Amino acid sequence: MRRLACTNPALPALCLLLVALLALPAAGQKHGGVFRGVFNSDPPILDPQFASDTTSSAVIHQLFDGLVELDEKLQVEPSLAEKWTISGDQKVYTFSLRRGVKFHNGREMKAADLKYSLERAARGKTPWVVEKILGAPDVIKGQGKEIRGIRVVNDYTLEITLERPFAPFLMLMAHDPSFVVPREEVERLGEKEFGSKPVGTGAFRFVSWRHDDQLVLEAFRDHFRGAPYLDRVVYRVIPDENTRFQEYKTGNLEVDDVPTGQLRAIRSDATLGKELSITPTLGVYALRFTMTQAPFKDNRKLRQALNYAIDKQAVADVILEGSVPPARGVLPPSMPGYNPELAGYPYDRARALKLLAEAGYPDGKGLPPITLYYNTSGLHKRIVELAQAQLRDLGLSIQVTALDWAAYLKLVEDGGTQWHRMGWLADYPDPENFLTVLFHSRNIGPPGNTSRYSNPEVDRLFDEADRLPAGPARLAKYRDAEKLIVEDAPWVFVYWYTSRLLQKPYVRGLEHSPMSASPELHKAPLRKVWLDR
Amino acid sequence: MIGFVGRRLLALVPVLFGVTLLVFLLTAVSLGDPVRAAMGQRGDPAVIAQIREDYGLDRPLWIQYGLWLGRLARGDLGRSYHQQRRVTEIVAERLPATVRLALAATGVAVALGIVAGILAAVRHGGFADVLVMTGALMGISTPVFWLGLMLILTFAVWLQWLPVSGYGDGAWRYLVLPACALGALHAGVIARMARASLLEVVRQDYVRAARAKGLREATVLVKHALRNAMLPVITVTGIGLADLLVGAPLTETVFAWPGLGRMLVAAVGQRDLPVVMAAVLLFAVIYLLGNLLVDLAYGAADPRLRV
Repeated sequence: MRRLACTNPALPALCLLLVALLALPAAGQKHGGVFRGVFNSDPPILDPQFASDTTSSAVIHQLFDGLVELDEKLQVEPSLAEKWTISGDQKVYTFSLRRGVKFHNGREMKAADLKYSLERAARGKTPWVVEKILGAPDVIKGQGKEIRGIRVVNDYTLEITLERPFAPFLMLMAHDPSFVVPREEVERLGEKEFGSKPVGTGAFRFVSWRHDDQLVLEAFRDHFRGAPYLDRVVYRVIPDENTRFQEYKTGNLEVDDVPTGQLRAIRSDATLGKELSITPTLGVYALRFTMTQAPFKDNRKLRQALNYAIDKQAVADVILEGSVPPARGVLPPSMPGYNPELAGYPYDRARALKLLAEAGYPDGKGLPPITLYYNTSGLHKRIVELAQAQLRDLGLSIQVTALDWAAYLKLVEDGGTQWHRMGWLADYPDPENFLTVLFHSRNIGPPGNTSRYSNPEVDRLFDEADRLPAGPARLAKYRDAEKLIVEDAPWVFVYWYTSRLLQKPYVRGLEHSPMSASPELHKAPLRKVWLDR
Repeated sequence: MIGFVGRRLLALVPVLFGVTLLVFLLTAVSLGDPVRAAMGQRGDPAVIAQIREDYGLDRPLWIQYGLWLGRLARGDLGRSYHQQRRVTEIVAERLPATVRLALAATGVAVALGIVAGILAAVRHGGFADVLVMTGALMGISTPVFWLGLMLILTFAVWLQWLPVSGYGDGAWRYLVLPACALGALHAGVIARMARASLLEVVRQDYVRAARAKGLREATVLVKHALRNAMLPVITVTGIGLADLLVGAPLTETVFAWPGLGRMLVAAVGQRDLPVVMAAVLLFAVIYLLGNLLVDLAYGAADPRLRV
């Protein structure tokens, strides 16, 4: 073996220079500056276990950490857990935690904090995140306080045992309700007040919050990954999209969404055109039939006829200015398990008329008027009115009715509509979060299946997929299930979501994950962002 | 005077009781479920049931209302279903922004409206009259969101004199555009009222007598006519101020102003009953007190009314 020797007199100086360069951030990243983000509404609560909206989530992701996290490509990466092992039966997860992780109050985070937080999640707003853990369902029902499937092995080792194997479990551990909170702060502030003065382990700490105006975070210098590049993050709350756009144009915001109807103008603008990006996101927009209501109950041909009769490409091109792909099924293209071979229901008037006749309503005759519900919004209104016009062309009488969100959600979840619009944005990037949640018969109503779709064969495929480890065999089950669902046509599959973002050219390192939507970018870790100016 | 004010304040109690009962019943019987609205999609039925129980929403309506009244008597307005914070805290945060905007908008409206109204009355039938009244009509009929956007484009984007939106730590620069947008509507109303009232007063005998005495026209107008002409203007301004204090949701939305109007609109959409009830109660008090102040101002302006 040759020994490296410093024979050249210039070499020690070069070595020192190299060491100094390695200590600097890579690729010219700069420290300092304020990132000015924007929300269209005030976040309701900054408590990971009690928030369920994307606006709150955007802030929660900067203030808190989980055992693992998802990167821009939706891969599971270590976070509070340095590494983990999974038992052969896919039921026991053993996490080795990083040492020296500090909460914003200075105390070291340990395994007991994670156990406390996951048990708090079982009593929180989205307990389904922990329901797969052994003993969690009892705690969710209020029959006990401790989840027996969570064991603190020592301060830096946490063991979680599942009721049965569940392939996307690690993704659930990257979801907000699994983030760690310090018990003493929750108890000091009170369960209800913690969400107004949050304390976590995240790269940014909470500074101030003037509701409906602005929320300020600052860099947490003791973050376990080191201090973030930015000094501060200021989120403005600006409900009007035109005002947001003017703030962006005058240089008061680093990012913004695209105001309705402005996409073409922005694309053709020399400056704004370069700042625009359109990213596919894990979401689907559909007009859902209620499968237990006449005339859609037991009439697949009628549902298929309506699918062929509505021109999804026109919705995408005319209403959404060509920024979204028309949907051909449920799973969007960025989702594992996406089936590019699904043809869906492209616009075909002749086929729609033929199916309508076969369904017992030739030229629409004999079909009573159908009411299509939507929640009040300019975009939804234009989409349902376009569908209404296209169906009128076939001789069908469609009434459209708008309700505000609270009234709408209750009516829809109780099965009180014939037909309703609904979107779905993934909680975690796994087909189970789309297909099982939205189509399994056990999820009818508030849990997600608002079309009240029930197909024993589809349920069986979901249950089999649930038990399989991640891999092609599991995805094949979901593909088979999706194929059956599309054939059954419980929805009119309209389009897959995209995120339309304006971003100043000096903003670097901002992740455009398919899990993030503009303007909140709720899954984007701002610790990676730096300002090149 | 004290007896008059006391009687008026006492009369507020049944009115406020009626208002809260009406709002409670309307909100309770309207479609929608506050818990489901707060949970969003994928709500767990067990959690929904638990939260309903925690907030007493599973109990009969009259018990819910009784409990609310009981808490109100202790000065407790409850907790928001949506934010889980104390309602008093939520309202107290937004009240200063609303009061500032309402007072500034009223200032703009009174200054513009009275000057324009006098000018129109003095130049009655002339070009200035037509111009002022056209401007007043435009002020009244221009949608505030459009006017707001035009003000933003002109003064914030092109000229860059003022900020686009926000509260900005209370700096006055942030107040100018929303106050002008909101004040324009009321300026139009005040200008029309001031003109009509002044034209009526200047035709009266005592004004003619003042002119006959050889007083200068400016003295006749300011000293003799204007004071009497201001009575209806005070009414319009007082009611306008009460209107502004109960929130201006559109202006607050366009200028991202963190006031009570936006808060109430959001709370109604979310069926956040404790916030809606607190806001309506506050608005009713403001409105009723606003009317009381108008009555008192009448007395100050016209000594005959004190008799």
